[in-house]
Amino acid sequence: MLAMDNVTLSYHSQRKSFDHGSHHVLDGVSLKVYEGETLGIIGRNGVGKSTLLGLMAGILAPTSGTVYQRPGKTASLLTLGLGFRPDLSGRNNAMLAAMLQGSTQKQALGYLEEIKEFSDLGDSFEEPVKTYSSGMRARLGFTTALKTHVDILLIDEVLSVGDAQFREKAAAAMSSRIRGDQTVVFVSHSENQISKICSRAVCLHKGRILAEGDPDEVLSAYGEVVA
Amino acid sequence: MNLIPPTGSHLMSLPQYFRLMDTMARMSLQADASRYFFGYVWWLLEPLLFVGVFYVVFDLILDSRRADFLVFLMCGKLTFIWFSKSVNQASNSIVSNRGLIARINITKSLFPMAVIQEGLYRQMAVFALLVGFLLTSGYSASWAWLYLVPVILVNYLMIIACAFAGACLVCIVRDFGMFISLGMTFLLFTSGVFWDVRELGDPHKTEMVLALNPLAFMLDAYRQILMHATAPDWTHLLQIAAGAIVVLAIMVILMRRFSQYLALRALS
Repeated sequence: MLAMDNVTLSYHSQRKSFDHGSHHVLDGVSLKVYEGETLGIIGRNGVGKSTLLGLMAGILAPTSGTVYQRPGKTASLLTLGLGFRPDLSGRNNAMLAAMLQGSTQKQALGYLEEIKEFSDLGDSFEEPVKTYSSGMRARLGFTTALKTHVDILLIDEVLSVGDAQFREKAAAAMSSRIRGDQTVVFVSHSENQISKICSRAVCLHKGRILAEGDPDEVLSAYGEVVA
Repeated sequence: MNLIPPTGSHLMSLPQYFRLMDTMARMSLQADASRYFFGYVWWLLEPLLFVGVFYVVFDLILDSRRADFLVFLMCGKLTFIWFSKSVNQASNSIVSNRGLIARINITKSLFPMAVIQEGLYRQMAVFALLVGFLLTSGYSASWAWLYLVPVILVNYLMIIACAFAGACLVCIVRDFGMFISLGMTFLLFTSGVFWDVRELGDPHKTEMVLALNPLAFMLDAYRQILMHATAPDWTHLLQIAAGAIVVLAIMVILMRRFSQYLALRALS
């Protein structure tokens, strides 16, 4: 589905501050994502996990190396706090997200009621996203990605937010997508989630792949790094 | 497995591109209108207030000595606002949509185009107001007003070319936003918005202003058509159109080629 060959990415923040999270480096990363698998990516903060997803989505280009993707396939990155226009309502944001992912206007309109219902947003669905709490934004973002079609779903830490009830519902819906033919790349700090959801895992450390393969073996390598 | 390196930006069909652009523009207009008590009335109220301010300063206080100053001012100011507002807002559009850019690999020109489309909808209402004002001010409708069609089209091309260039520059170095705002103020004073480029006294100077500043030529063309039922200088208009198309083509190629670089700059 997607392959990375000796990919390096380096850039510097204009603000010269790590607080803005804009200094990430990947160094000679090679990996493959197979159709229908759920690949977990684990690593400490700042090791380049989110940058790796950005490269997989084709949003960023590597400084060197190549990212290969299957022609015509769409990838969407689901990440916290991004992807919305705050001045637009939840409904319009969901519509826009679906159309940006390649849906026609008619298809996008067809998704809206389902998204409204699953996200439990009620009347807030018609309100501007700037009035939402972070949990509400996460619910809208997760549901939009879940209910609209993308070939590769790239999830960045998003399953760990929202209230307990929504988390449970989201995890169940996610599992059902994973059991189907959805290709998922999943970034998390939660060893439990990686072990439970993923069929394969990668541990990133200082911009390089430290371990790759069976989730439990990768998690034990991660455990040694954080110890 | 049949895998290829990415092409730079997510490919979408032209109908899909224009539908998305139009949807984004309509949503933005809707959100904008819902923010204010007067809603859609601001489409006309805002430009009219600008005209009002200029009228008070340049006619009532400074005495323009033109009987038709209000019509003259409206023809210039209402069309200038279309250009300046569209280019200004579109220049910031890639940066202000970084939330969407961080999520999906998408053609970056979509963002300035959506802003330009939004401006076009507003401007259609403004043009209707302008024509209505002319008719109620004693001007009669003329076949020559049809010359407005190519002039508006070239003006639209100019806006897209400048907006694409501005959006890329601001995305790469944010400071360009300041230069663009300053540039619009410079154009406001040098394009004959509230003074007549044909009354400079020196024909060479008039020629020079019209040749060096395409916007001055465009504002003059609007006035010639609407106030004097006179055709614009077609050669000059074509030259401006050709220039705008060349800049536009270069910007489209650059935006496609460097789509991911622009994403990196918008996000960092």
